[in-house]
Amino acid sequence: MIKLTPVILVCSMFLASKSHGADLPTPTKEQVVFFETKIRPVLVEQCHKCHSSEAKSIKGGLRVDNRSMLMKGGDSGPAIVPGDPAKSILAKALKHDGLEMPPKGKLPDSVIRDFETWIRMGAPDPRKLVELPIARSIDIEAGRRHWAFQPILDPKPPLVKDASWPLDHVDRFLLAKLENAGLKPLKDADRHTWLRRVSFDLTGLPPTPLQIKAFMDDNSPNAWENAVDRLLGSHAYGERWARHWLDLTGYADMMGTSNNVYAEHAWRYRDYLIAAFNKDKPFDRFIREQIAGDLLPANKPGERAENLTATGFLMVGDVEIVEPDKAKLEADYLDTQVSKIGTAFLGMTLGCARCHDHKFDPIGLQDYYGIAGMLRSSPSTHKTAFGVWSSLNTTDLPETPEQLKARQGLESKTNENINKWKTEKSSLEMQRKAVTEEIARSDKAAPADKKTDAPSSTNKEALVKKRDELNERIRKIDGTINHAEFFRSKAPKAYAMRDGDRVADMPVYIRGNPYAPGIVMPRGAIRVVSRDKFPTIPEGQSGRLQLADWLADKGNPLTARVLVNRIWQKLFGEGIVRSVDYFGTRGETPSHPELLDHLASRFINHGWSQKRLLRDLVLSHAYRMGSSNDQESMMVDPENKLIWRMNRQRLDAEALRDGLLQISGELVQGQGGPALVLEEPENCGSLALKGINPPNYTHRKPRPTEEFQRTIYLPVMRTNFGTHDRIRAFFDFVNPAQISGQRNQTVVPTQSLFVMNNDLFRKRATLIANRVLSESPDTKARLSHLWLAVFNRPITNPEYEEAEEFLGRLNSSLNAKAPKDLETMLWRELCHSLLASNEFIFRF
Amino acid sequence: MLQKPFLDRRQMLQNLACGFGSLALADIAHAMNQTTSPQLPLMAASAKRVIFLFMAGGPSQHDLFDPKEYIRKKHGQPIGSPLRKEVTQVGTEKFLALGNAVPVKPRGNSGLMISDLMPHLCGVADEICLLRGMTVDNPQHASATNQFHTGMFTEVRPSMGSWISYGLGTENQNLPSFVSIHAPGLRTYGSGFLPASHQGTPLTVPLNDKILPVENLRNASENEITQRQRIDLTKRLNRRLLDDLHGDANMEGMIQNMELAFRMQINTPKLVDLSNETKSTLDLYGIGGKDSDKHGRACLLARKLSESGVRFVQVTMDGWDHHGDIKGSLPKLCQQTDQPVAGLLKDLKQRGLLEDTLVLWSGEFGRTPWSQDLSGTAPIDKHGREHQPESFCTWMAGGGVKPGFTHGETDEMGYRVVNGKVHIHDLHATILHLLGLDHTKLTWRHIGRDYRLTDVHGEVVKEILA
Repeated sequence: MIKLTPVILVCSMFLASKSHGADLPTPTKEQVVFFETKIRPVLVEQCHKCHSSEAKSIKGGLRVDNRSMLMKGGDSGPAIVPGDPAKSILAKALKHDGLEMPPKGKLPDSVIRDFETWIRMGAPDPRKLVELPIARSIDIEAGRRHWAFQPILDPKPPLVKDASWPLDHVDRFLLAKLENAGLKPLKDADRHTWLRRVSFDLTGLPPTPLQIKAFMDDNSPNAWENAVDRLLGSHAYGERWARHWLDLTGYADMMGTSNNVYAEHAWRYRDYLIAAFNKDKPFDRFIREQIAGDLLPANKPGERAENLTATGFLMVGDVEIVEPDKAKLEADYLDTQVSKIGTAFLGMTLGCARCHDHKFDPIGLQDYYGIAGMLRSSPSTHKTAFGVWSSLNTTDLPETPEQLKARQGLESKTNENINKWKTEKSSLEMQRKAVTEEIARSDKAAPADKKTDAPSSTNKEALVKKRDELNERIRKIDGTINHAEFFRSKAPKAYAMRDGDRVADMPVYIRGNPYAPGIVMPRGAIRVVSRDKFPTIPEGQSGRLQLADWLADKGNPLTARVLVNRIWQKLFGEGIVRSVDYFGTRGETPSHPELLDHLASRFINHGWSQKRLLRDLVLSHAYRMGSSNDQESMMVDPENKLIWRMNRQRLDAEALRDGLLQISGELVQGQGGPALVLEEPENCGSLALKGINPPNYTHRKPRPTEEFQRTIYLPVMRTNFGTHDRIRAFFDFVNPAQISGQRNQTVVPTQSLFVMNNDLFRKRATLIANRVLSESPDTKARLSHLWLAVFNRPITNPEYEEAEEFLGRLNSSLNAKAPKDLETMLWRELCHSLLASNEFIFRF
Repeated sequence: MLQKPFLDRRQMLQNLACGFGSLALADIAHAMNQTTSPQLPLMAASAKRVIFLFMAGGPSQHDLFDPKEYIRKKHGQPIGSPLRKEVTQVGTEKFLALGNAVPVKPRGNSGLMISDLMPHLCGVADEICLLRGMTVDNPQHASATNQFHTGMFTEVRPSMGSWISYGLGTENQNLPSFVSIHAPGLRTYGSGFLPASHQGTPLTVPLNDKILPVENLRNASENEITQRQRIDLTKRLNRRLLDDLHGDANMEGMIQNMELAFRMQINTPKLVDLSNETKSTLDLYGIGGKDSDKHGRACLLARKLSESGVRFVQVTMDGWDHHGDIKGSLPKLCQQTDQPVAGLLKDLKQRGLLEDTLVLWSGEFGRTPWSQDLSGTAPIDKHGREHQPESFCTWMAGGGVKPGFTHGETDEMGYRVVNGKVHIHDLHATILHLLGLDHTKLTWRHIGRDYRLTDVHGEVVKEILA
């Protein structure tokens, strides 16, 4: 806990410096000698390199090469309080109290004493008083000129020459630019390609042969709409789009990176997201719940629980709970939270302003600490009874009467079990007692020296063995009882925000250091994107509610733009603004600024509905374009910035794994719930209520269904990936310590090894082969079946010939025991070959 | 994002340059050497490659390199806490001085201080440049490990091996430029926002047949011919698709990589096979020794990789986290590592490689001069030490650092650095400097900012340059 004293201290120093400042008396001769012999040489030798006109960049905003600047101080306020060394930052820094100066090592004690003496004298300084230019500062008004901070307009769709092409206004914006450049949109992809594309994009799964047939047989002009509505209405939609959002949160089922301390309630936030996407929660509401759900009114327990769980957005990031310095832990986690809000909603790198005004964007310390102060007023962690460890704060979720009843049922079942195990244990103990006594008796009857007595010794061996077995069983049952008591059903909890007891503005932490507090900053939002003054925060509240309103305001120029650009990127491969997480001055400028604004205002006007926007976009003509290269267009626009074709995308880890499982028929419908298998005692270590280290988790025993669940439901560990989850280690899963709205698409040989040899592909190849063999009668039908299942399109004639030839040639290299085995082996190789091909691994 | 689905030629070439293949990529590699590395002013380099021996867990500098007379005298008595009151520690409440467990004495001509526990290292004391004023900013394993490898403990950043790979390119186009043997976590070899070709390749020393040196290396098919036919079919399908699309750099890369992967399957086991090494080489590294076999193999492999042109090889040796009974546990760790590490230095020296190979030995932090007893009841001789990021010892050898030289000093108890402080940023700056790279100029533009390994910090430690 940080005490408030430093803040007050700094404020009072401010007053002090004002009263002293320039009116200091002229130093006496003795004082000048003291300064010139004891003080100035040290300042020159030790400090000037970073704190004078000689410095390449002035560190901490402090200069010590003249009197007025020294008195004025730097980012932490005045460096000296004349007469009072204990309150002078300079003297404290020399003693390495809070700040550490010089950073290379402490100066000798005698030098530090000289400085204290000098300050006690009133810091007499004969150097000339020179007014220096004010340190670097940001110009908010000038900053507003940047395109992203300008209000969102609602531009009219432009006129186009080819009026027959557009299906949606979106198409007009694109086509107008293409026509201007003398380009034409590429011809449409065929219907099979479109269906595979839209299925992967909206649900993360390929279409099934039945779905393909239904779409192909639908001759109505609404065929596309029907397909899209089916996809948007499926549960799989939420599972896909919730995962995109999780990339912006740092979500994992572990709290920090140390000791695998489990975040046992994190899954509730993941399930909240899936439900929110599936019910198409309006995005402005979605923001309010995630930033300040705990402060929103709610009518029903369910609604209240949802609101609380939503604030998990701010809780689930990488938090180093083992940090023993709790002030530092708090400061670092505040930074994670502020940065996350900045990146996810605003596309701004707010973290830069933790230590100094942003170098490129008009964002200052005040903006950063304005938001940080709200979060500091709602603490996220608390110190636990385990050694140095902290933990994330939880809130009990209200239960409906049915939930309560279900829980009580579970509890009485647990009690029953525990009683049963205890009875079993005492019976085992009785047996052990009997055996132990018997051993003692046999020892007495046959003293150790009579080794020749064979029958008795065999008997004893058996007894000892029996005793050891009983010991082992008792040990196991103890573990089971301990585990059951530890995880005895409790009221449901979520990692949730709540306003704390200490609601207040916070000081700037100089260089991010909580022990070097500077001036206090009022709580507020980012000034450069605000038209009005930030509203007054009601007494005793953190201000998160006001921040949520500010973020979700339709006048905020960033929120809607950033979100529609994210959605565009997921569908078209690249954002209209290619730097999807960064809309600042050094980011990319929009390729189609009018289109971006059109989408943003349309999104707001349609009630911030993501499903509606997605529906409109995937039904546009642009989304139907083919993805191959066109020689002429390539010459003009090789990077496809004008969007004359669809961008090809490599499937991400989740789509690859989930797709494989769907094709093999193994995918199970997701139910949500805890990802960690805490109900298995062997996964849980150190189950105690206090100690040096908190309980931990090792994913030794997965649930039987884990292999077949969608990837979003698998545990996200911060340190490694589980057995059924290795694909995330190879195919660009976002490290959960990172906030990133766009996955990399790397191409490295270890991915090829994975595709060639890993069981995820191998097993599926086997199963698909068996399926094709059993479900289709002859080679021709089987090949068609296989192509439709894997590539989601009919097989072509050359492919048919090639596949037959492959099966024929492969025959000779295989060692099969029976003809039936051989058939399976042949088809397994063929399936594997298809699954490893680019046509499966990419979406077109 | 940097890895665009639409890759330019340069990016494509970068993506191909990672793996233990031996495909004839000479022409591509030639083009690559011109394009992957940033345009940097030439600086004289004294090192061409780095071998980083990472002692995970935090070895005790007090028992190995930097004993304190004051602590030895006060052994078992309270010395008062220098910690800030907000900082919590467990099991150290009494702040009892814990004298060094075994003698640490001057060695060689230089008189460099080394513990009796490291007899082999004592033999090469005059090659070593000891830094006694190392410091990092975090007392936790995961955070400090991240900071030691990437400069940052919260944000995800490229690891130093990745920066070096990016800065210098590869010396051997058939090998990755960065290999991490027994890597201690994804982020220690991750390339962050740098192109993926600069990420480290994790490698496991196969101590038995069940262990694969690289994941997924075992052919899934019945035999090699079958697998080859399967891959050939995939290749034909891929080629046809590529023709239909009129080209795609990413997919072209996938086709090439499948060939590389196939060759990795064949070549990697040969590369890690030490059965043809002479007995004297094996003995030098302690291979076959009861305790030293595993790390001996890893160190020999590191030398082989380094010699073949891998820019940055890391070998991690863990188990140094001695919270209790340090007197009993530390000797075991030293037995496991001393001969392999000293053997590596001797081998590099006799092969003339030490001159331009920089060897770095360090934990993520050091340990406290006061004792720790988590049980609360153990006698002082069974105590251990808590983590200490404020000061600890790191050493370097070869590659242009002063041999037989000691730099930096801590206060009488061995807690704060009083002179010659080397922050991890300074160490990174110095390593890059030795490799001929200016740490302020080796940058990568990402979300609007030019990032460096040293962030906005770091100064070259000129005192230790030979």
